[in-house]
Amino acid sequence: MRLFVQAVILGLLAGGVYALMASGLTLAFGIMRVINVAQGVMIILGAYLSYTLFTHFSVDPFLSVLFVVPVVFALGVMIELVFIRPLRPSDREELSLLVTWAVALGIEGVLGLVYSTTYRSTIPSYANRAWRIGGFAVLQVQVYAFALSIVILAGLGLMLAKTRFGRAVRGTVQNPASAALLGVDERKVAAIGFGLSVATAAAAGAVYGVVTPFNPGSHYDLISLLLTIIVLGGMGSLPGTVVAAMLMGVSQALLATYISPTSAKLTFFILLIVILVVRPQGLFGAVERGKL
Amino acid sequence: MTHGRGGALLAVLVAGLLAACSSSSGASSSSSVSGSTSSQPIVIGISLSQTGDFSDPGKAAMRGYQLWADTVNANGGILGRQVQLKIADDASDPGQAVTNYETFITKDHVDLVFGPFSTLLSVPSAQIANRYGYSFVEPAGGGPDMFAAKLPNVFFVQPAPVLACGDPFVNWILSLPADQRPKTAAYVSLDDPFASPIADAMQAKFEAAGIQTVAKTIYPPETTNFTPIVSPVAAKSPDMWVGGTQSDDAYAQVRSMISLNFNPKFLYLSNGASSPVEFPSKVGANNVNGIFSCGDWFPNSNASGNQDFINAYTTRYGGDAFGIDSTSAEAYAVGQLIQSVAAKTGSIDNQTITNTLHSGTWPTVEGNLSWDQYGMPQGSDMLVEWIDQKLTPVYPADVALHAPVYPKPNWGG
Repeated sequence: MRLFVQAVILGLLAGGVYALMASGLTLAFGIMRVINVAQGVMIILGAYLSYTLFTHFSVDPFLSVLFVVPVVFALGVMIELVFIRPLRPSDREELSLLVTWAVALGIEGVLGLVYSTTYRSTIPSYANRAWRIGGFAVLQVQVYAFALSIVILAGLGLMLAKTRFGRAVRGTVQNPASAALLGVDERKVAAIGFGLSVATAAAAGAVYGVVTPFNPGSHYDLISLLLTIIVLGGMGSLPGTVVAAMLMGVSQALLATYISPTSAKLTFFILLIVILVVRPQGLFGAVERGKL
Repeated sequence: MTHGRGGALLAVLVAGLLAACSSSSGASSSSSVSGSTSSQPIVIGISLSQTGDFSDPGKAAMRGYQLWADTVNANGGILGRQVQLKIADDASDPGQAVTNYETFITKDHVDLVFGPFSTLLSVPSAQIANRYGYSFVEPAGGGPDMFAAKLPNVFFVQPAPVLACGDPFVNWILSLPADQRPKTAAYVSLDDPFASPIADAMQAKFEAAGIQTVAKTIYPPETTNFTPIVSPVAAKSPDMWVGGTQSDDAYAQVRSMISLNFNPKFLYLSNGASSPVEFPSKVGANNVNGIFSCGDWFPNSNASGNQDFINAYTTRYGGDAFGIDSTSAEAYAVGQLIQSVAAKTGSIDNQTITNTLHSGTWPTVEGNLSWDQYGMPQGSDMLVEWIDQKLTPVYPADVALHAPVYPKPNWGG
């Protein structure tokens, strides 16, 4: 029982960060029908920016989010304007895969040139500390990362629910034509939405670098993890993504504890296939367009 | 149209024939140059991982090779010929390493090839070298797969095969009085042809000696989150923790143990913990003490040419002797062997190198080496331990600079 509880704690903490990583991916798909396979490399870019600030300017990785997010937001808006906007809406879903993959490879190449392919870790003084609560180890960095993820996700949720921009986003997701008739500038929503989606990835990256070592090629493993999460949660559904991410974190930890780390991945994919067969729209996905 | 296609085909055929003629004449002229002209440099092709997973040890190997070449050239070269290294990046990819060696041999017509980093890349590369009759003296391919390939041209330039890497630790543990030995053990290994066989071999020996296995876990190479893997093993409170590790996974195992505040009485990591610079920087210098690993080279060793190697290394790359990665020494030793063969036989012909190295004992910075018919070295490694934040040989007694310190001090101690 103790092992079970410990695994669930570790899994939930990891799942919180997965949720932040995947939320942008589902946002971009919800707004623009763009499958942004560069989301993984944006996480790694965030990790490198945070690593640089930490090693050269002693900026705490959690504080570095304040710098990393606006920089990557601007980069995201630029990518939308230059690479995604020219795609015809009818082909966007398919072509966005190729275009964003090219972007991912390009950024990976630049990171390789600048930082080389050696694995890096951002290691602040508290990197290895844990609280002992009721005999369970709770890693401090994972708690901070989880808390930051929840704060950013809550901010994202509030923005979508309460602000004028959020209403424009939801309107665009539900019915682009009607939203345009009501005066919503779809191009502006798309640019800002895409910028926001990659900025959340970069924020997650800043904390990812503290929890795990990374190099420019680390995005391949990440993007397969994130695509699995958003498919499981229902593509385009933010609450579904959060639940699926938690499920992913906890199932990974439990499978590693009770079966083996090697078979954990296989078991998870079997579960994914079963869900896709039984419920193809994922856990929370709407059968038709209209929810975020 | 038909006529046009026929003409094009004819043109391709003619071009192909011309190319074949020119390449065969190129090959014959090239071989005559390497065979007779003593003023030509000796060109040595080496595939090295400058990028990818093995980029750290790949660069360390490159430093060793280059240092050897520069030292030899400053002293007049080999048989009066300067040495020229032709190095290509393989991005830690076995397929690219094979392509590199194919290119070195069939296109560049190099005189010799030296080995890349790791068993994963060395096995297929050695097969290419064997196909073309090249000797394959290599610094870092010592996993079981290397010798299972049964290639007569291979020489692994370390004192012992990788599988025997854990032997000094096993022998030391079993030499302890029964009441001081660990009673229980856990084995946590990377799924890799280099790493997990070491832990498996150690487990078999410890179990035969009555040390109970309480946990055994193998994790895939793409693992990034180690705490869920370390946590259930730590919950079994093994006296001894054996990690079949490579590099980053070793750092991650240690960091997870620190976070979980689990401190085994004996902690052995096959690789990663033997990196004098990287390991303390990744886990914190105050967390290294008491961790054991295996070592094939050590700064204080009195092996042949070791002091010259250290002096040349620190002069060129800075730092002190304890900051030298053993992979650099291994690569340097590869060059030393070729020098010794040339001095003994007056030749650097590949067949001569292979035949000559198969008999006798050969002094290098790695110690005195000898091999079986498939290149498996016949000596043994040493046990190293972090003592006062320095990697120190502790066993066997004839190479030890300090007695082993146990049980392991607490983290931060």
